[in-house]
Amino acid sequence: MGKQFIPKITVFHCINVFGDGEFLLPPEKQDAAVEFIKLPCSSMVKDVFLLRAFESGADAVLVLVCPEGACRYVEGNLRAKKRVGWVKNLLDEIGLDGGRLALFNVAADDAAAVEQIIVQTLSQLADLGPSPAA
Amino acid sequence: MIVGEQKSIAEIKNIVSPYKKVLILGCGTCVKTCFAGGEDEVAVLASALRLAFKKDGRRIEVEEFTVERQCEDEFVQESAEAIARNESVLSLACGAGVQAIARRYEKTPVLPGVNTTFLGVLEKHGLFTEECSGCGDCQLAVFGAVCPFTRCAKKLLNGPCGGSQEGKCEVDPDTECAWSLIIYRLKLLGQLDNLRAYVPPKNWCASGACGPRKLIREDHVL
Repeated sequence: MGKQFIPKITVFHCINVFGDGEFLLPPEKQDAAVEFIKLPCSSMVKDVFLLRAFESGADAVLVLVCPEGACRYVEGNLRAKKRVGWVKNLLDEIGLDGGRLALFNVAADDAAAVEQIIVQTLSQLADLGPSPAA
Repeated sequence: MIVGEQKSIAEIKNIVSPYKKVLILGCGTCVKTCFAGGEDEVAVLASALRLAFKKDGRRIEVEEFTVERQCEDEFVQESAEAIARNESVLSLACGAGVQAIARRYEKTPVLPGVNTTFLGVLEKHGLFTEECSGCGDCQLAVFGAVCPFTRCAKKLLNGPCGGSQEGKCEVDPDTECAWSLIIYRLKLLGQLDNLRAYVPPKNWCASGACGPRKLIREDHVL
């Protein structure tokens, strides 16, 4: 039997989306490894951070940013969106599938939305399988 | 500044594929400003290459190092130890930097990771435009500090072609007509009479047509 696939997701998030609180996965998804990395603003997420998350074994990387027009630093979420788009193209070029990286606009403390995003990502990973570079 | 663009991952991967240990060498001056070869771009490219080769089941050691300027030997020397540890160098400098590294480390393969593109300005964050061709015979005083040799698609030196529309070039409607800009600027300066002066054909030798150019400042040479 092949080794069981335990999906690993790295989530970069702005502290204004949610702060220090431990985020709980739904019970049926507890076997996934989800690592949260908080940033003072989503614009702090540099291209190389996203790539190194994949180098560290992530099968998917998510960037959670404030809704457009709601960034405390005016354009941080827009800059993050641009960078994520750039790195998605780079991942496609590498052959890793840019679909493994995604950005979502999430309202402050909307835990239900975050949970939904993670569940959706796990479902996509079930189809995509492990990262070929993990 | 010199503006360059990083080559595609596919091309870079192909260039470095014969080697197992590669140093990605950045340059902290022009190519850093245009996001092609500074410290950040070195880090991104190194990570991308590691992922790309790992995906293919190949292991490659990629080391990262950035010097202030690859076109000056004083700075180039700082990379000596890192170069000695690797089989090849992928330089993210302009073509001058690549050759300066190769000159100093003549037994090491030095490979280009950037396409050197033009001499330009940072028009706004993320937008670089070509403004100078390094022709060696600057006539900007006549043209109100707008270079028709570089910015006119037809390189006309004695007035507009007549094909521009609403100040845009007929060759590329996203580009401003250099002659529109020249006339606008000369009007502002009260120097429209400049347009009456005949500008003779350029001396192409000064722009490199007679072989590589050399500049010697005797007062600095010992």
